Amino acid sequence: MSGRSNGWRSVGVLLLLLALHFYVRPRLGAPRYAPDFIAIGVLLFALRARPGQAAVAGLFAGLLTDALTPARFGAGALANAVVGYLAAYGRTVFFADNLLVTGGLFAIGTWFRNLLVLIASGTPMSRLVVEAGVWSSVQALVTAVVGVVFALLLRGWLDLRIRE
Amino acid sequence: MSASYRPSGASPFGPDRYTGGRDTLLFLLSVGVAVTFLLGPPRWGEATAAGIRGTVLVPFLWLQARAEEAKTSRARFEEVESQRDSAAWAAQALPALRAENDRLRALLGIIPRVRVPYRSAEVMRQSQITDGRTLVVSVGSLEEVHAFDPVVSPEGLVGVVLTVDRSTSVVMTWAHPDFRASAATEDGSVLGVVAAAEAELGAEPMLELRGVPYRDTVTAGTMVVTTGLGGIYPRGIPIGRVMGVAREQRGWERIYLVRPSANLGTTAHVLVLGREEPHRPADDPAAAKLRVPAGVVGDTARPIPRRRQARPAPDPSPSPGVRP
Repeated sequence: MSGRSNGWRSVGVLLLLLALHFYVRPRLGAPRYAPDFIAIGVLLFALRARPGQAAVAGLFAGLLTDALTPARFGAGALANAVVGYLAAYGRTVFFADNLLVTGGLFAIGTWFRNLLVLIASGTPMSRLVVEAGVWSSVQALVTAVVGVVFALLLRGWLDLRIRE
Repeated sequence: MSASYRPSGASPFGPDRYTGGRDTLLFLLSVGVAVTFLLGPPRWGEATAAGIRGTVLVPFLWLQARAEEAKTSRARFEEVESQRDSAAWAAQALPALRAENDRLRALLGIIPRVRVPYRSAEVMRQSQITDGRTLVVSVGSLEEVHAFDPVVSPEGLVGVVLTVDRSTSVVMTWAHPDFRASAATEDGSVLGVVAAAEAELGAEPMLELRGVPYRDTVTAGTMVVTTGLGGIYPRGIPIGRVMGVAREQRGWERIYLVRPSANLGTTAHVLVLGREEPHRPADDPAAAKLRVPAGVVGDTARPIPRRRQARPAPDPSPSPGVRP
């Protein structure tokens, strides 16, 4: 399978996740804890791309979210770029291709991204503790569950090496 | 990079997953771009955000608007129907009251009450954790929304339009650190400025009524409404209820804690108010799109024509110095 073909598949999956984010996510309950398909997209991309490419993908994903939540433009871009880079780098160095570890990567990646967004947005410490401790944690867990399902469904198509 | 960095499977974008100077450079570039937006002038971010919303995100925002509509049509149909029935019942007495009001105003020589048009819009929720300080709503310049148009929900004030795109707008809500509104108690006896409160640990988002003179006292439970000063918000929009004194400043000012009427976490529909327009004869058939809300901004229940149509001639004999 050629690298270019795989690249197009990645782009297709990202577009699919974007569509799900905007069309399915509003129907999945309160926005604070509904799964974040953009985070799933960035982390799925990071599972199979080089760290630099994952950082750029994170930057663009973050610009998209910042455009829709422009309280502090650039906060989401910074957070997603850092998380994409660290996820791609860290997976190669530290993580085994294991289902639980992959789920943990989705959860920690989403939570850490939210924490970075809160810090970069200048959120007061009191609010940051609540948001990061409660709402971010719930969203990270829900996103991890949905992300693992996606990774399992798409592992053949995206050449992901995940052992159950 | 690190010598311990080892390959783990083939990359679709390269022969291996070894990182190197190029990855570091891309990462630093990405961080640099993000930090530039973060620390640069706000207009850079606003222009870029508007460009992204007006191009790349157009199909996705269209999808989200459809999803919000579909969710609404299922989940809130009965609630909306119930509200409509209640409103219809309450409106039974309005024609007589309005006619009486018009007669009294004519007798006293007071100019007719101003009317506020509005557009209804769905709130398009976003995943980013700071969603709530700003909201994206599903109306834009196509519906003649303008920057600084006030945004209200049936419960009360939500915020003000920050930027307008073709079919969407970004609203700065009362939770935004830059939000300010001129406010007064419902009876108009105490004036102040409402702003987002400095959050306490674990506390829900609140507002503060600032600038209240030390000699004035506001009891808990008092409703706070907009004053209409400043020309942004119409007079009388509910903002919230006073909870108590938040703090005092050097014996000359009291700051009150206000529980907001509009819950940003659950608000699904809002009304974007237009500019106040003078009263004009009713029964214009072109009033289909811009309607006037009952209840939110007082006695303004009569539909008025769309803004792009010709404005009527000014009242030939308004009483100088008398505000509507």
